[in-house]
Amino acid sequence: MSRALYPLASLEQVEKSPSREDGLPPDLEEDLRAYGCKLIHHAGILLKQKQVAVATAQILFHRFWFVTSLKQFGIGDIGMGALYLASKLEECPLRMRDLINVYDLLLRRASHSNSTGDFKYTPMSYFGNTFYDLKDALVVAEMQILKRLGFDVHVVLPYGTLINYMRLLDLTGREDAVSRAWGYLNDALQTPVYVLYPVPTIVSAAILLATRHLQIPLPSTPPNCWWELFDAEWEDVWAVCGYIMRLYRERSKEDQARVAGMLTKKDVRRWLEEHGHKEGKH
Amino acid sequence: MSDSFESSTPSRKRSRWDHEVDEGDDQLLPTRQVSKRRSKPKTSKLSEYSNTPSPSTKSPVKPSIAAVRPRHSIYAPPRTLYPSLQPARSVYSYERLNQIEEGSYGVVFRARDKQTGDIVALKKLKLDEEKHGFPITALREINALMACRHENVVNIREVVVGDTLTQVFVVMDFIEHDLKTLITLMPAPFLQSEIKTLMLQLLSAVSHCHYHWILHRDLKTSNLLMNNRGTIKVADFGLARRYGDPIGVDGLTQLVVTLWYRAPEILLGATTYSTAIDIWSVGCIFAELLLKEPLFQAKSEMELISMIFKLLGPPTSSSWPDYTTLPLAKSITLPPQQSHGSGLRQRFSYLTNAGLNLLSKMLTYDPEQRITAEEAMQHPYFKESPLPKHPDLFGSFPSAAAGEKRRKPFDSPSAPQRLADYNLITDFDLP
Ligand SMILES: Nc1ncnc2c1ncn2[C@@H]1O[C@H](COP(=O)(O)OP(=O)(O)OP(=O)(O)O)[C@@H](O)[C@H]1O
Ligand SMILES: [Mg+2]
Repeated sequence: MSRALYPLASLEQVEKSPSREDGLPPDLEEDLRAYGCKLIHHAGILLKQKQVAVATAQILFHRFWFVTSLKQFGIGDIGMGALYLASKLEECPLRMRDLINVYDLLLRRASHSNSTGDFKYTPMSYFGNTFYDLKDALVVAEMQILKRLGFDVHVVLPYGTLINYMRLLDLTGREDAVSRAWGYLNDALQTPVYVLYPVPTIVSAAILLATRHLQIPLPSTPPNCWWELFDAEWEDVWAVCGYIMRLYRERSKEDQARVAGMLTKKDVRRWLEEHGHKEGKH
Repeated sequence: MSDSFESSTPSRKRSRWDHEVDEGDDQLLPTRQVSKRRSKPKTSKLSEYSNTPSPSTKSPVKPSIAAVRPRHSIYAPPRTLYPSLQPARSVYSYERLNQIEEGSYGVVFRARDKQTGDIVALKKLKLDEEKHGFPITALREINALMACRHENVVNIREVVVGDTLTQVFVVMDFIEHDLKTLITLMPAPFLQSEIKTLMLQLLSAVSHCHYHWILHRDLKTSNLLMNNRGTIKVADFGLARRYGDPIGVDGLTQLVVTLWYRAPEILLGATTYSTAIDIWSVGCIFAELLLKEPLFQAKSEMELISMIFKLLGPPTSSSWPDYTTLPLAKSITLPPQQSHGSGLRQRFSYLTNAGLNLLSKMLTYDPEQRITAEEAMQHPYFKESPLPKHPDLFGSFPSAAAGEKRRKPFDSPSAPQRLADYNLITDFDLP
């Protein structure tokens, strides 16, 4: 009984991100991807969409940037396309119009965050150009995601595995640990780890962070290391923890503003023209 | 703790990035039932994943760390077994040969892979005039094929794209025959030993799909392909769905399963159904192999119901306790019980008792009592003489799909319209 495994980035794909090849600095790419995931998350909340669809969308979103440069597509459009597609995959499809409205709101609010004054949202007209532009962008984004991922949109979410592992570690009674680990798994959706490591490794990282934080002792000296029970390698678990912890570091106002101003491919291109030779790989 | 957390690429010293597979060590995790759904870790065959990340030539070759590490359990496959992200190739990677058939949903071509020379089948998905982006039905078909890889399920190789966004093709292994055409053209019916082999293959595929939470929902002889080596491949997952999923927009009330193979609970308007509907279809296919013609050649749902009642006797409160709760049950007047059991024995007079018992367990009214695919595979019918014939001993047949001459088989009704959103009740002729 075999089932095809979900895809992960190959080593070559990890080493050569298309955006980096186009001269985008790694930390900026990281910020943009995380921001795109936050948009998906907010859209999911506003649309009252199921968490499984939102999480699936975020993973598809991250996969996409291993095969496509941010110079070619914006994080707004691809995020919208990923949520639309993931909602179908999880059998809870969204209405195009609702999704477009929500993204229009989120994108405008984001670009407003860089100017002063109160944000006031004026809903767009259904017959205006904005709606049709966004609709075209949505259809193209969905198709591009499918195409560039070779139509393999199989995603495995980590939650079932977490419950399973907590049970094996005899920690189901520690609700604080379960919910903390669950939270790390959700936060990790903003990072590329779900395209870099198999689920058992990521779940082990979430458990490691949660149990360390709550000072719950687990067997951790060779040859009795709890993560080995789940076939996770210490270095990988540690690396995933690193990705997650990086999300929580203090960010400067400038860094935040920089990201909010780069939601479309046009913005990214402009940025590259202005900065290309200073910060690019050349 | 932040300093030691360097965001890094996955460590590559380890075996996961290299072509090294720990085999044969099945150290199972104790609780496998937990979270049976998506997160269930899977076993895998190495041969199936050819496009695994290639080890970087630059990376230093590691000493044999595998000896130090506990070996991987079958539930956590090594990193090398995961496929990499692969963009869809162009349809121009293939040279088009002949058109096989125009299905209700797409066109199927025979084609040659320009690189490998392999002969494949390309099914063009109908995407134009889609108001909702990429159709959810096409997604289900592709996902189901990818999820259900099995010796007896047609192998999906990849999905390729044409020049415009509306051209998408599913690439499958080309399989020479379909069972319906074969049955029609064969001068004599299959032998018992052959039928057993075919049924075991079919059941094994169906049980595999069900194990992976996929309902096929359109099992019939024209959707069963067969190669020249006597191996059946279940095809056409165009109506497939995961079960256990939310009912969703088109719900489970959507019209499914080609009429002749449709289970009684669907006919009677059940709004929830499960794996048992596929088993009913398998029963109809079993009967068709025995009879060399479809079992229930009804022209309407009402006629089908009365044919079923006639063959099996009307349902009773013990044979189908939930019968009266079904939406359409009230509108049907049950014929009187036959005095001497069912008509199955008369219709299949040459079948052994074991064979008849298996057939009747598949054609059981109550979906709860209907046999499962896994149980059916263990049925004594398959263990009594004549034993299943080895597929290699099957004769080979001229392939209609490959362009060899064939007569058009008698037409069976086609699968229900995919996007049809109407209910079963709408065009139901009440007596
Ligand atoms: N892999 C294959 N190799 C050879 N022939 C195939 C293959 N897949 C499909 N065919 C042929 O094409 C026909 C239609 O394919 P399929 O059933 O998948 O499409 P469909 O549009 O869903 O058709 P329908 O609705 O009529 O069942 C099959 O009955 C079979 O004859
Ligand atoms: Mg078909």
